[in-house]
Amino acid sequence: MLKTHLSDLFESKGAKIIDFVGWKMPLWFTNISEEHLAVRNNVGIFDVSHMGRMLIEGVDSTQFLNYVTTNDVEKLRVNRMHYSLICNENGGIKDDIMLQKISEEKYVLICNASNREKIYNWLMQKSMGFNVKIEDVTFEVPMIALQGPYAEKTLQKLVDVDLSKVKFWRLTTTKIAGYDVIISNSGYTGENGFEITFWRIPRSEIDNFIKVYNEIINAGKEYGLKECGLGARDTLRLEAGLVLYGNDIDEDTTPFEAKLDYAVKMEKDKFIGKEALQKQLEEGLKKVRIGLMMIEQGIPRPHYEIWYGNEKIGIVTSGTYSPLLKVGIGMGYIKPQYDEVNREIEVLIRERRVKAKIVKWPFYDESKYGRGRTNVP
Amino acid sequence: MVGGGLMSHSIIIKEDLYYTKDHEWIKIENGKVRVGISDYAQKELRDIVYVELPKLGINVKQFERLCSIESVKAVSDVYSPLSGKVIEVNKKLETSPELLNADPYGEGWIAIIEAEKLNEELKNLMNAKEYDAYLKTLKHH
Repeated sequence: MLKTHLSDLFESKGAKIIDFVGWKMPLWFTNISEEHLAVRNNVGIFDVSHMGRMLIEGVDSTQFLNYVTTNDVEKLRVNRMHYSLICNENGGIKDDIMLQKISEEKYVLICNASNREKIYNWLMQKSMGFNVKIEDVTFEVPMIALQGPYAEKTLQKLVDVDLSKVKFWRLTTTKIAGYDVIISNSGYTGENGFEITFWRIPRSEIDNFIKVYNEIINAGKEYGLKECGLGARDTLRLEAGLVLYGNDIDEDTTPFEAKLDYAVKMEKDKFIGKEALQKQLEEGLKKVRIGLMMIEQGIPRPHYEIWYGNEKIGIVTSGTYSPLLKVGIGMGYIKPQYDEVNREIEVLIRERRVKAKIVKWPFYDESKYGRGRTNVP
Repeated sequence: MVGGGLMSHSIIIKEDLYYTKDHEWIKIENGKVRVGISDYAQKELRDIVYVELPKLGINVKQFERLCSIESVKAVSDVYSPLSGKVIEVNKKLETSPELLNADPYGEGWIAIIEAEKLNEELKNLMNAKEYDAYLKTLKHH
């Protein structure tokens, strides 16, 4: 199994360890609900070093990335980042990514762990004719996410830059304990928070990196920081309405079906998948992503059928018990004609039809939770 | 007490119970059989949030699905340790599924079964010592 710099540490701490797409990762440290609520109410720390990171440099890097991704890279300024998609020629989603612009001709592309090799190969293949250099730096650049209303206060103790100026989707380069880091205001929980990429820590320096990791934990102690595993990461992203590749999006799903339109700039001159997507816009969608919340007791899970009246109208792609809302929530795809907020539907749970309704995401009250909360500490 | 899958937690095994490989337990009470899940099972599942109890009066076969337990992360089936008729279910679990985590051998019991072939089917179950040995084999998977 592939290991992050912290995998063995987590195992020795007694975390529940799983094989996540080949990586030795913690599922939870204490339990999912506690870790989840720490992020919603306080602050949580995640090891996200399993995500694929590609360094893309060269005079054609902007032009190249604008061609292989759906968002507008020409408009992305230095020290900014955006969410974007890599599509195949049919408009199907190969991966959803974050793109950080470090300098005029230097980008960091962050992709899903499950797609790292596929994306690296795709980028290499499509870069023919472009003057770019692509390097998979995943194994040398550990990445830590601090998420939650006290993430900023925690991290501020360790850095000189004023983090209140690093707003959503912005980044800064600085140092932590002597290591060069990229700190971005971003994450996968819906909460305000930061992702810290330690720019190259060789495996020989793992012990030293563990010290840095423990320093961050200590900085957050007074705010109730908890170490969080992939379990909480999944329930948090689902409550926030964020898609998970392989569950909610894949190569047979287009950005429009997934309602990720904001990451697709059709006015761009040319990008892979544009023609197919244009055609879909003209012909109409066959399925659309919805959020759903159970009315009756039950928990939706992937592959469960969604019914309306006597018709099967779709399928659940992600589902969980929401530790915050204490109810079953999920995402799925249904026929577009049924897509209406508050429409009552049914989820087939172990041969039984259980009442649910279509809801908007995020699932929580945005005035109380998430980065838009009004009660910022 | 034996070491389980987690280094920092020990797993409780009760002497007077019989166990399945799927981590259910039974307790024989005057010919009737109380069924639950083991401490190992509840620790693996962690935050149990919903129990779909078996229907009263149904007949179940040994090692076939009895009911389902949902943790935050996933749904897990509970298999009936013995064949027989479900004559009582623990209604408390409907409103307090966390009892399964808090007291798996006590207040977290799931159902009582009137066993059909107790003596015959008991051979397919493990006693505490055998279950302890079985758990040790799981530690290294």
